[in-house]
Amino acid sequence: MKIFRFICILLLISLVSPNVWGQNKKNAPKEKAPLLSGIGVGVDLCGLAMKGVGARFANMEICGRVGLKEKFFPIFEMGIGDCTRNGGETTNVFSTRAPYWRIGMDYNVNKKLNGNRFLVGFRYGFSRYNYDFSAPDFEDPVYGVSSPLELEGLKGNNQWLELCIGFETRLWSIVRLGYNIRYKTRTLQSVSELGEPYFVPGFGKNDSNTFGGTVYVTFDIGKSASLKGGKGLFGKRKKKEENTNTETETPPEETAPRAAKRRGGGG
Amino acid sequence: MKKSKGLLLAAFVTLAGLYSCDSIDCTLENTVVMLCNIYQDGKTVQINDTLTITAQDSVVLLNRKTGASALKLSLSYFQPVDTLVLSVAGTDYTFTDTVWIEKTSYSHFESPDCPVNMFHHITDVRSTHVFIDSISITQPDVNFAAHENLQIHMYPSAD
Repeated sequence: MKIFRFICILLLISLVSPNVWGQNKKNAPKEKAPLLSGIGVGVDLCGLAMKGVGARFANMEICGRVGLKEKFFPIFEMGIGDCTRNGGETTNVFSTRAPYWRIGMDYNVNKKLNGNRFLVGFRYGFSRYNYDFSAPDFEDPVYGVSSPLELEGLKGNNQWLELCIGFETRLWSIVRLGYNIRYKTRTLQSVSELGEPYFVPGFGKNDSNTFGGTVYVTFDIGKSASLKGGKGLFGKRKKKEENTNTETETPPEETAPRAAKRRGGGG
Repeated sequence: MKKSKGLLLAAFVTLAGLYSCDSIDCTLENTVVMLCNIYQDGKTVQINDTLTITAQDSVVLLNRKTGASALKLSLSYFQPVDTLVLSVAGTDYTFTDTVWIEKTSYSHFESPDCPVNMFHHITDVRSTHVFIDSISITQPDVNFAAHENLQIHMYPSAD
């Protein structure tokens, strides 16, 4: 519940942020985005970071998307889900590593072409995977007989739907940074009767629904990258614009005859 | 600019929080026992004498229980046939029957944090007939569900 409240606050802040909606209406550029506004490829930093710090599980993924009129972004995501989980109070071990795929679309709510995007969208994900489970200390408590349990290659198949909401901004040039938070709900699960997987690649910890998120660095190629934007995240873009304005406001250098004429008091 | 940085920082914190949340959800009803009801003349009855049930390797499953009408018995994890010896002892008599339960067993796990259980599928039951008339299988699957698996029918009463 606390997490849900925090997400709501975060999204509310995103909504009221002037960076999302543009500086103001008077200065808003009236550009029209082309039909094919750009093509982007990206990588999720969150999954890589989790893998790097040795988290129990990680979804390492990349994505490719197409921008249509800077509004619609059909997107394809693929990655590898990796999990090795040791029981906290048992010696049981669960492990899996398998690819997953997602297709879906984002919609940019931001009406201004200022380089920022406030995205809402959906994904449909699916994964076929094998998982292993071992219990080295498996013992019959009544009869006192023990025999290590080794279950390998159990087959699973999951499909799920994700509702996404996120924010994305341009860092510099074609590089964009964004995050999104996802509510995931399971639509289909087929697993071994011996037991359900602890982790589903691409979905996360196995449950009927869960939350997740990504932090994407995206490289946008095409017209969307060259569209007139607002200030960049680190202010470089703004600085450049300021320099441009300064140049245009400076009066042109006087020519020699005109200067002589002025010095002569008009005589 | 500060707001954008703040938003991104908040996003990282949120995502870290989402991924770090974890909980252990093990099933509370995690006892796997075979439920046997004792019948006589088509009705469940109590055995007022002392009932003792031993399994192979002298494992005592039930020790000198009186007034038994429903028996919850653990099945072995690794043996294909369980041999149960049921002894009913009165003041000056003892009747003994042997029950053989053939089954297939398969492990069941929920999470690495939870203990692994063994489920069973009863394929056949037979017995001697000293005081047991017949045994019927009502539900062959022995798992977390607490439903009746076997009906042990005693010989009809004399009156």
